[in-house]
Amino acid sequence: MARKKDKEPVIKQKFTKGTAVTQVVMTLIAILFATPIFIIFTYSFKTKKELYVGNPLALPESLYLENYVNAYKKLDLQYTFANTLFYTLVSVLLLAVLCGTTAWAIARCKQKFFKFCYVYFIVGILIPYQALFLPIYIIGYNLNLTNTRIGIILMYIATGISFGVFLMNSFMSTVPIELEEAARIDGCSVIKTYFSVVLPLLKPAMATLVIMQAFQIWNDYLLASLYVSKKQLKTLTVAIQSLFSAQASDYNTAMAAIVISVLPIAILFITLQKYFIKGMTVGAVKG
Amino acid sequence: MDKKKSKLSRSITNQYLLLVLPGFIIFTIGIIIPMLMAFRYSLTSWDGMSLVKEFVGLANYFKLFQDSAVREAWAFTIKFTLGNTILQNVFALLFAIALDSGIRAKKLFRTILFIPCLISSIVVGFIWLRMYSNVLPAINDVLGTNIDFLLFGNSSTVLGGLLIANNWQWIGYWMLIYLAGLQSIPSNLYEAAKIDGAGVLSRFRNVTIPMLAPSFTICIVGITTGSLKVYDLLVASTRGGPGRSSTSIIYNIYTTAINGRQYGYGSAMSISLVFVLLLVALFQVRGLKKKEVQA
Repeated sequence: MARKKDKEPVIKQKFTKGTAVTQVVMTLIAILFATPIFIIFTYSFKTKKELYVGNPLALPESLYLENYVNAYKKLDLQYTFANTLFYTLVSVLLLAVLCGTTAWAIARCKQKFFKFCYVYFIVGILIPYQALFLPIYIIGYNLNLTNTRIGIILMYIATGISFGVFLMNSFMSTVPIELEEAARIDGCSVIKTYFSVVLPLLKPAMATLVIMQAFQIWNDYLLASLYVSKKQLKTLTVAIQSLFSAQASDYNTAMAAIVISVLPIAILFITLQKYFIKGMTVGAVKG
Repeated sequence: MDKKKSKLSRSITNQYLLLVLPGFIIFTIGIIIPMLMAFRYSLTSWDGMSLVKEFVGLANYFKLFQDSAVREAWAFTIKFTLGNTILQNVFALLFAIALDSGIRAKKLFRTILFIPCLISSIVVGFIWLRMYSNVLPAINDVLGTNIDFLLFGNSSTVLGGLLIANNWQWIGYWMLIYLAGLQSIPSNLYEAAKIDGAGVLSRFRNVTIPMLAPSFTICIVGITTGSLKVYDLLVASTRGGPGRSSTSIIYNIYTTAINGRQYGYGSAMSISLVFVLLLVALFQVRGLKKKEVQA
């Protein structure tokens, strides 16, 4: 008979010779992966002179902040940072509301239209909006949505909703239907049931959705470049792209710009890692 | 009584409908209608400016098969996709297995490998452009070696350069999916296999691989469809060059529609890409799901 373990099945693996080899290999790989990040970070503090002479892997001679000042000016950071933050927050908030209600209604209603909706939204995951940029622009132009905040936000919702509905739908089985029925018997309307009973139970799923979408919208280039051309409405990624093409030689300003753009999302990830990973792995684990 | 009940259920359905409709409408206007519009344009010779859109039937689609630029763009996109699908799956799985073993500092490794995918593809393209053209050659000077790092400068190495950039960006992401898959495999399965006398390799083949089937589906479909859509990565790095050697399908749609003023023809390319994507995803999901069931 196999020995039975009374303790939890968390086995502390032994550190064998094989593990030691793995450890060394993984350390080297991690260094390789981290090198570009290290270089962006150190270059953002280097002077122009240091770019051309000296060891690229050396630390900067001093904490030279001029690049950040330049980046701030060239990116119009007071606009672009605020805009990107605004678009991201509002789109993500609306997506959270819409994906939750849509996925719930689809999960609870068995009528044909709702079944059709499920397929309709899922197929949307596979439709590359990148390939449809032209009609997306034309429809926005005809509806007077280009160069408006509401226009770009609606587009972020349209492009994010199919994945969001899929994600929320896969969490719906965690909501016990009995609670909803009890609320219904107490006289709650459908909409009130959702907001008072279902939504609180979906909080972890919501956190996952919010993080997944926030990082995509924050990093979006295509839709922003298509929909907003006014300086006051531009996003960070679009400003960075024009900085890249303008600053071919003096690229440490660009490096500082990269640090500025990546930092918020990196902080968000590191603090909320748990939810992020959950969102990515939906469907990867049977259950 | 029956009438009352059906009235009540209809009102409930209406409320559910109210919850679905806003999202449904936005999605329809933002994605579905543009797709139908693209299809309509693809049957015309529209230049994007003029008021008349002359109907030309399927002429644009026939043209796709004779256009050498389209053929080159597909060739690049397919090579890029195959390279990514193979490399990213293999390395992501290997790294996941390594991080599932008894090594130390797993969390640190996980974070380092994952960080690149938080960076926007535009920025990733620029970073590697600088790496190849400035940073790595400077390291050459320091070490006194003479390795050619100018991967984006030559049409025979540009694909390799882009594959490195794309793998650097995404391996960590897929690795996490494999890792979650690995960690969900109940350890008693391994113990049972051990008792049956299965060695390490046989346990990997007969327990790990079948149990990872859902992760394989997600990663393979995700990487393939993602790579077929490559565009952002090219904007700040190679711009489709040198020559046309790294022009992807979407990049080609841009140059055709915007610079070439052939909106109708560009739309035909869009529709063909959507069609290929749906087909590839459908085949892969069906094929891989079959394996999942057998496992």
